[in-house]
Amino acid sequence: MRALAAEVAKLVSLPSVWIATAAGVLVPSGIAAINASAARGAITRGARATAGADLGYQELAFGVVGVIILGVVAISSEYVTESAESGGGRQITTSLTAVPSRLRFLLAKASAVAIAGASLAIVAGAATMSAVRVVLGEHAPPLGTDDVPRLAGVVCYWVCAALLAFAITVLTRHGVVPLAVLIANTSVVSVTYLLTKITPLANYLPDLAGAHMFVRTFAGGTVEISPLTGGLVMTAWTTALLTVAAVAFTRRDA
Amino acid sequence: MTVITIDDLVKRRGSREILSGISFQARPGRVTGFLGPNGAGKSSTLRILLGLDRATSGTALIGSVPFARLPDPLATVGAMLDGSGAHRARTGRAHLRWVARSAGLPRRRVDEVLEVVGLTNAASKRIGGYSLGMGRRLALATALLGDPEILILDEPVNGLDPDGIRWIRTFLRERAASGRTVLLSSHLMGELAETVDDVVIIKEGRVVADGTLEEVTGSHGTLEDAFFALTTGGAP
Repeated sequence: MRALAAEVAKLVSLPSVWIATAAGVLVPSGIAAINASAARGAITRGARATAGADLGYQELAFGVVGVIILGVVAISSEYVTESAESGGGRQITTSLTAVPSRLRFLLAKASAVAIAGASLAIVAGAATMSAVRVVLGEHAPPLGTDDVPRLAGVVCYWVCAALLAFAITVLTRHGVVPLAVLIANTSVVSVTYLLTKITPLANYLPDLAGAHMFVRTFAGGTVEISPLTGGLVMTAWTTALLTVAAVAFTRRDA
Repeated sequence: MTVITIDDLVKRRGSREILSGISFQARPGRVTGFLGPNGAGKSSTLRILLGLDRATSGTALIGSVPFARLPDPLATVGAMLDGSGAHRARTGRAHLRWVARSAGLPRRRVDEVLEVVGLTNAASKRIGGYSLGMGRRLALATALLGDPEILILDEPVNGLDPDGIRWIRTFLRERAASGRTVLLSSHLMGELAETVDDVVIIKEGRVVADGTLEEVTGSHGTLEDAFFALTTGGAP
């Protein structure tokens, strides 16, 4: 528990974590507000009847960039090397002399990332759904019991995404490459989505499979995946990568 | 319980042998100077002792257990390695606070160690803005948080101003006088002769001298002369 308390304290005192938090809340709620405004225009013109069941959810799949940043910086900050003039030290040496068990250290850090990721998902989910309702007013689709498992799916998706980013960065020990690749894949060009054009197996990559937990209609979707299967597939990916990361981390020199 | 015992430590990286059988002890109540030129294997030895790197063979023990199996590491060993050992975006106080949390130490300890190393006024500044000397003081404050029985310091005087060097010498002598164990590495001889009781000199991964300051200095006159005679292979 002490190790976890230390990891939570580290996250809270790191400025880049606050940037991640801002991105996680503002990106999905901002895009949702813009899309809701467009949908409202279409509804009042009579071009469409409803706003669509995925409004808000699609944006939350996007907003996962926030927890990707969180997962990456949580571990890359340990390996940032001070300038030579400052002595060339790294925080990881301090961390591992305070908590010498590699496994305990990694478990505490992963738990802190999961807790922060879940909290951020709840806040972002509330902000995004509120933005949709504020903009659409009477045209907003009502939130019902149907939305409970979907919103739980969002939280699960964000936690898994944070832990995947975390596990990859444990392996690279450097934040820039995982950050660039993972954010580009989420926001600019979805490489995993393009891969589905080549093989249907790509639908079982973690980000696509996991999104089935809460997104209902996929443009050009080629494979039927139930929300439960999607969640299990993403959890399996996360567990596998965390295991590989833990094995590498406990074996190599700090 | 607080003897440091290094026994036949070997470390290979690829085909290069960095340590070729290092053995020595650091005892309570004494300051042990671990000396050698840059690249001799001082930091590698200390990193293995602290469980950061893995030895190819041999053991490094704190009392009777490896560092990684200490029940309360921060209260047993205070370590100071390269630089500040902290992330530049945090403040000095925030850094010490998370370390204190990891050992369940009260917040009061953070202010106490800041006071001891003279960083109280810079505690709310980001570490990125610290000078090398301030970073080293922060690293020492971190090592002192748990009021440990053992201090392991890698090049502690590097980057300190003359005042700081004088201060740390007195400080380490006091720690040893109170029965604690101090092991410090250095490549600077002049700074150390007045501080250490025991001397271990290594060269290219091997111990070339091990004894009390008087024994190692011997007929060379000064520790510095002895050091160069032993490490450069030149005339004594």
